[in-house]
Order: sequence, then structure tokens, then C-alpha cells
Amino acid sequence: MSTTDQFGELLEAYALGALDAPDRAALETHLATNCPECASALNEARWLISQLAYTAPEAAPSDMLRARLMKIVREEAVVERADQARSNRATAVATKPAIPFWMWAAIAALLVAAVYSAWDARQLQQQIREVNDRAIAELHSREKIGEELAAVRREASILADPASVKIALATSQTDASPLQANWNPKLGLLVSGQKIPQPPGDRVLQLWLIPKAPGAKPLPSQLVRPDANGNFVLLVPSPPQLMAQTKALAVTEEPAGGSPQPTTTPKWVGAVIFSETKD
Amino acid sequence: MRQEKSPTLKPVFLAALSPKPNADASPDAELVHHVLQRDMRAFEQLYDRHCRLVYGLVFRIVQQAGTAEEIVQDVFLQLWRNASQFDASRGAFLPWLLTLARNRALDNLRLKSERQRRREDQTEELPGICAAPEFEKQLDEKRRVSRIRELMTSLQPQQKRAIELAYFEGLSHVEIANTLKEPLGTVKSWIRNGLLRLREGLQATT
Repeated sequence: MSTTDQFGELLEAYALGALDAPDRAALETHLATNCPECASALNEARWLISQLAYTAPEAAPSDMLRARLMKIVREEAVVERADQARSNRATAVATKPAIPFWMWAAIAALLVAAVYSAWDARQLQQQIREVNDRAIAELHSREKIGEELAAVRREASILADPASVKIALATSQTDASPLQANWNPKLGLLVSGQKIPQPPGDRVLQLWLIPKAPGAKPLPSQLVRPDANGNFVLLVPSPPQLMAQTKALAVTEEPAGGSPQPTTTPKWVGAVIFSETKD
Repeated sequence: MRQEKSPTLKPVFLAALSPKPNADASPDAELVHHVLQRDMRAFEQLYDRHCRLVYGLVFRIVQQAGTAEEIVQDVFLQLWRNASQFDASRGAFLPWLLTLARNRALDNLRLKSERQRRREDQTEELPGICAAPEFEKQLDEKRRVSRIRELMTSLQPQQKRAIELAYFEGLSHVEIANTLKEPLGTVKSWIRNGLLRLREGLQATT
């Protein structure tokens, strides 16, 4: 007889509770080994023993027992629900965020507003800068126009003033016209030319004042380069006050930026014939 | 007699949210499942289904109506408080409940007798698994009850008496031998053979 068979014979009596201490201890030691056959047989033996309950005479408990039992259960259920509600509230409080949702939403809205305001301010600053730039450009343009207008008025005044001295600057060039100069002791010297060939490359025409004093060097004056049509107007606002000290005007071709002394032979020369009576 | 109610107790939308017991589970298992969710109506139904059988068993053991009701109350309160300790996937509910009731009744009996020392280390708070054999599923309860009673009646009187002394009075082999004034081996054979006959008889009924 195997160990399992040997203990198997005891299982019904064990489930019945009829085993005496030695047999019960031996069987329980075997069951502690997790013998699968005995464990399964014991479960069925327990079921068989439970069926003996049906051999007891039928009897009904009093209705009072039912009422008493249900009252206890009902009261316990109420307490359990209250405990559960308290526990849920405690859990809800424990899990409730320190900062409520609406505050997060408000913070987010403020951040969005701040970012938008910064962007809007930046845009506004950019627009202000552009307007300022346009205003400055407009101001410069007006100043330039004003300067040009003043020059034109001055030129017109020089041409119209009877005190101005007309000076013709002749040339030996066959392809160039003479230059015309008008010198007013107060308003300045105006030199103009028409159909003047442009100097080659970046060379320019430079005006010179030839002093009457013997041995004096020519005084360098302004530079000019004729436009595409060969026209130019040169206004010298601050010529030497004393026209009487100037013997002649001359124009040479010089490198870009001009020269302190003439480097070429004058292409136009005109004598300054000054009459004291014109002052 | 109380009218039995359907074990489906909760509204459909609540039941859909609750974990379902095994689809093959008995009405008892389903009711226990609802008791676990603190469903008092399910508990009432379990009580109404089994209180007569449980009370009859306990009364048979303790022989006093008042004591029997106290024990039955304790048994069902234990069910309400510890329903989670019944695992429907591992065994049948009613045998588990009957074993619990029997243990409680026998414990009460032993408290009033010197025999308490015998099983004081064996008493279990809750009964172990009661696995119904395969043939039990093919036998409806009424036929099974009728058959077990017939089988018990068909046993030799001494054999029947020995099993009853063990089951209803909690006596051991030695105590039964002393009570019946029969040899120990004879008593063991009576009980073992009697239980085997009950098992075979129930099996043959299917």
C-alpha cells in the first residue's frame, strides 16, 4: 500500500473530525507535503461529509432571528458606507492638488497675455522705429530740398544781382564749350557749363583761383563732374571776399578727390575783370 | 415559505460596471459575489435560501433553540463580514457554509464539555475547500437530499450511529468506541465503510 493510499483511507474520517490525535497528526504531516492526490480527495471528502447535514431533521429559525440579523447587517452596512465615504473624502483631500485647476488656468492665461503683450510691444517698437526712420529720411530729404532750393535761389540771386561779375572761361578744346562764371562778392561764385565732355574714368574737373600776387600759388576750389548731358553748375558759397585779389579762374582735370596743386594744364581759363564801382 | 428572488439584483447599468463572477457559477456563488459588494438584498436571499438547512443542522448538534439561533446568527454574520474568504472558483458554497456552521456548533458543544481539549488545536476559523465531485453536478438538490437520507437509513444501525456520533456530536474514533462499547477497529471500519457506501450510493444515483 502506497503512502497516498494509506492516508487516503483516513481522509473521510479526518473530514468528519473523527481522527484521534496520532492519526490526525500523521495525516496532517502528510498533507503538509502538498500531496496533490490527497488534497483533491480531501476536498471531495469534505463535500461528502457536508452532505450529512441533510440527515438532520428539518427545522426553521424564528422570524426574530432574521429580523435581528438583518438589523445588525444593515447597521454595519451604514457604518461601512460612512467609513468608505470618509476614506474617499480623505483620499480626495490627499490627492487634491495644492494649486486648484482654475488657478493653473488663470496662470496659463496670464502667461499667454504676457507673451502676447511682449510680442505686441515688440511689434509696436518696430513700427515706431520704422516711422522714425521714415521721418528722419523725410527730414533729410526736406533739408536736402531746402539746401537745393537755397542754392537755386542763391544761384538766381547771383545771376540777377547787377553787382555780379560775368566771367567767360574760354577753352582751346574743340569738343568743349566755354564755361560761364558769375561772381558776386557777397553771394558767391557760380560756375556753369553745358555740353562738357566727361573726364575719363573717375577723374574730375577742379576749379582754381589764380591770385594776382606774383609767385602766389593757385588756390584749389571745388570739384565737379558733368552729368550725362555734359551739364554742371558749381556754386562756391564762400569764395575769397576780395575778388580784386584774383587774377583769373581756371579749371583743370584732376584725379578723383582733387589735388592741392594743379597737375594738368588748365582746360578753361577766364580773367577776372573786377570793377570797384560794382561794390 | 419565503419566495425566492432572482439573484440578478442590481440594475443593468451597475451590474455592467461590476466584475462578473464565473458564467458557470451557481446562484449561490453569484449572490456571494454581490454580498462582497455589500449588497444586502443578496445577503437576505442567501439567508432565505439556506437558513432552514443551517439551523436544522446546528439545532441537531446543540439541541437548544436559543443557542442554535445565536450560532446561526454568528455563521451568517461571518459570511457577511468575511465573504471574501469564500472562493467560488475553488469549491461549492453550501458545503462550505454547512461546514462552517457545523464547526461553530461543535465548538459551542465542546465549550460545555470536557471534550474541548480534543479538537482545540484543530478548530479552524473558516472551513477548507469543499469540492463537489463531478457526479454532484448531474444530481439536483432534491434528489440528492432524498438519496442521502435513504442511504443513511440503509446503513446498519450501529454504522449509522457511529457516523452520527462523529458528525453531530464531534466524537473521535476512540470516543465513539467507548460510547458504543465496541472495539476501536470495528468503529473505524463502520465509519469508513459507511462513508464509502454513501459516496458510492450518491454516485450510483447519477
